Amino acid sequence: MFQNFRLSMAWLHTWFGLVLGFVLMAIFFFGALSVFDREIDRWAIPESRFAPQPMPSFDNLLKPIFADMQPGKADLDFVRDKVNGPLPERFDTVVTWGAYTTHRDPVLNIFAGYEVPNAKEPDVTVFSSRTIDPRTGVLFSDDQLKIGSGFFYPLHYSLNFHWMNLGYWIVGFSSLIMLAALVSGVVMHRKIFRELFTFRPKKSTQRSALDLHNLTGVVALPFHFFFAFTGLVIFAGIYFPIGHTQMKSLHDQHEVVEAQETGLPHDRAGVAAPVASVDAMVAEAQRRWAERGMAGEVGFLTLRHVGDANGYVSVYRAGTDRIALTGEGIHFKASTGELLREDPPSTVVASVNEFLTGLHLQHFRHWMLRWLYVLGGLAGCVCIATGFIFFVEKRKRQYAKEGSQNGRIVDAMAVTTVTGMLLATLGILIANRLLPASLPEGWPGRGDLEQYFFWGTWVAVMVHAFLRSAPVAQGKINPAWSEQCLALAVLAPVTVLLNWITTGDHLVKTISEGYWPVAGFDLAILVGGILAFIAARHLRRKGKGAPQDATDFADAEVQHG
Amino acid sequence: MVNVLLAAATVLCVLGFAWLALAMDVHWKQVRNDQPSASTAKVLRVLGGLSLFVSLVLCLFTAHATMASLVWVMLLAASALIVAFTFTWRPRLFSLLVIWVKATN
Amino acid sequence: MSTSTLSARHVISRIGAGVLGGYAFVWGFIALGIAGLYALDVPFHDAEAVSNILGFLLFLTVFLWAFAARSVNRVWLVLVGGGLLMTGIATLIEQSLV
Repeated sequence: MFQNFRLSMAWLHTWFGLVLGFVLMAIFFFGALSVFDREIDRWAIPESRFAPQPMPSFDNLLKPIFADMQPGKADLDFVRDKVNGPLPERFDTVVTWGAYTTHRDPVLNIFAGYEVPNAKEPDVTVFSSRTIDPRTGVLFSDDQLKIGSGFFYPLHYSLNFHWMNLGYWIVGFSSLIMLAALVSGVVMHRKIFRELFTFRPKKSTQRSALDLHNLTGVVALPFHFFFAFTGLVIFAGIYFPIGHTQMKSLHDQHEVVEAQETGLPHDRAGVAAPVASVDAMVAEAQRRWAERGMAGEVGFLTLRHVGDANGYVSVYRAGTDRIALTGEGIHFKASTGELLREDPPSTVVASVNEFLTGLHLQHFRHWMLRWLYVLGGLAGCVCIATGFIFFVEKRKRQYAKEGSQNGRIVDAMAVTTVTGMLLATLGILIANRLLPASLPEGWPGRGDLEQYFFWGTWVAVMVHAFLRSAPVAQGKINPAWSEQCLALAVLAPVTVLLNWITTGDHLVKTISEGYWPVAGFDLAILVGGILAFIAARHLRRKGKGAPQDATDFADAEVQHG
Repeated sequence: MVNVLLAAATVLCVLGFAWLALAMDVHWKQVRNDQPSASTAKVLRVLGGLSLFVSLVLCLFTAHATMASLVWVMLLAASALIVAFTFTWRPRLFSLLVIWVKATN
Repeated sequence: MSTSTLSARHVISRIGAGVLGGYAFVWGFIALGIAGLYALDVPFHDAEAVSNILGFLLFLTVFLWAFAARSVNRVWLVLVGGGLLMTGIATLIEQSLV
């Protein structure tokens, strides 16, 4: 397509980066927030602000809750068109019960799956899930949005856009582009090592933006590469559903063989049987882990074919001391507690796969590594944002001469994805603290309203960014940058203040009690606000200043075609 | 103990990158008015590489090898940023790291 | 770089070759990897995992190649042709196994 390899890579980097950079920015930012998703949940649901709990007793606490569970209306809507005729009043055939927790969860997530009678296809299951306080068994209201694990986290990998799974596909394609942008960026960049530590803020905006783009891109290159790559690997089943389409017969053959090998029944026997003490099975599993030198807590507990003679209980370990996401599962016959199977050690391939996915999903207990991940994610954001700024700065004179509006569009979109995204984030947090606990009849759910506030704020700041973008066409700075920074500087302390007023948890209290999930998030918001204030002042000064000198980036022209 | 080791690993990582950077003329000039001799540059590079290596070793004492190496890779990124921004805003701080090198002119 | 030398058709063809051709090629690669390794007695999920991991690296490579190669027609030919060929072989292997 071009005279040489370098130029074709530069074209790819520039144009794909421009189009998908906006999506990538959101992926990086909400990925960085997702590192602390459970902590953000604590902030958003004040009733859950207590210490992380181990898996509670199944026999005494969980069993009666599971027995009472039934799918709700929203759960039933998922399967309504998959059955012939109406759905039954009650679902009695339990396919699975499960409880899941991590070392960062005060609350416990439980789910139940039921066989759906008269289904058009076999194996249709309707699921229902709840969140409980594991100390008392009290259920949390379904209406409370877990902003971290239930909104920011899925936003990170699906953009919360579930129609035809399109969100996943956009994120997946953007990840591929991220990988391509990294490789092409390295090809374009002639002085990776010579300029590794170079950032010159006093030079022109174009030069310093490029410095920062290179710096944040290169120093965190392994992070950027491995996170984009492992993200694709995690969702490989969605992007290349070969095992469930073209190779389905091989997959099914393997499942039958596996069921024979493992001795874990694939189907119900049709003979009723009670469930023996699950607590005893859990204790036995923990004893066996300890015997192997890897004592640990239970992360995931699941019962299959409940109430049937083929029923079994699987106990998985919470993998807090490894990167690799393994469970060391131990399986028992539900009716007797007899040991059925211990999962064998992973094969080499499985270990590599578990390492790659575990590296991204981070179930480990290592706070420093978590913060380093946040830093990596934010470095990715800075890299992309400075890419946009460089794009506009480099072309602004030409655009001004031609009277082109293209620069305005790119710049306004950049404002929307940088400061706009942060304002939307504060928007949902503020809505979370201001909305009353119970809403009038006929209103949308509280959690839904919070999400509307998020998207509403984002659209509003986007409109603002476009309305204020006229100066860009003359090669000047869009005042929306400094105005939105100022808005952030005001709203960040307001958010923290609202947390104090509505819950009584002010920073002095949370820090002195060592309740870091809330204190840490409050502090992060405040630091963000301070940085926004500095940026606002800086931008204002720069906006008033003389037009910049444009002589010190002659070499950049060549590199960035 | 783990925290002490991790703190030491972090400091060594920053020192390592700073020495590697000081071996480059551009960054040396941000810190001192003279030129580093070829042998000084070499010593700085060895010091830098050695510090990064020791930092990895310290990390390996703190956790399972897979986790430790990941911590180290992420520490490299963080330290490189710290070094770059120090050269931008407080380059003279790094003169302490080459205080033992005599001025050449 | 001057964009004037690039016709819109050519650019769209490149992008199509990289994205769609790349997808077809990688689909074929992963399918062939699963079937082929399974035929060699590798457990199904291991075959799947190793094919996926290599498949994404391959996607990256052919995507970049689609933009760097001199002839876009050859890119289309290799990626779609190769993808179909590998998919076909994978199905043949599968049928011989089930």
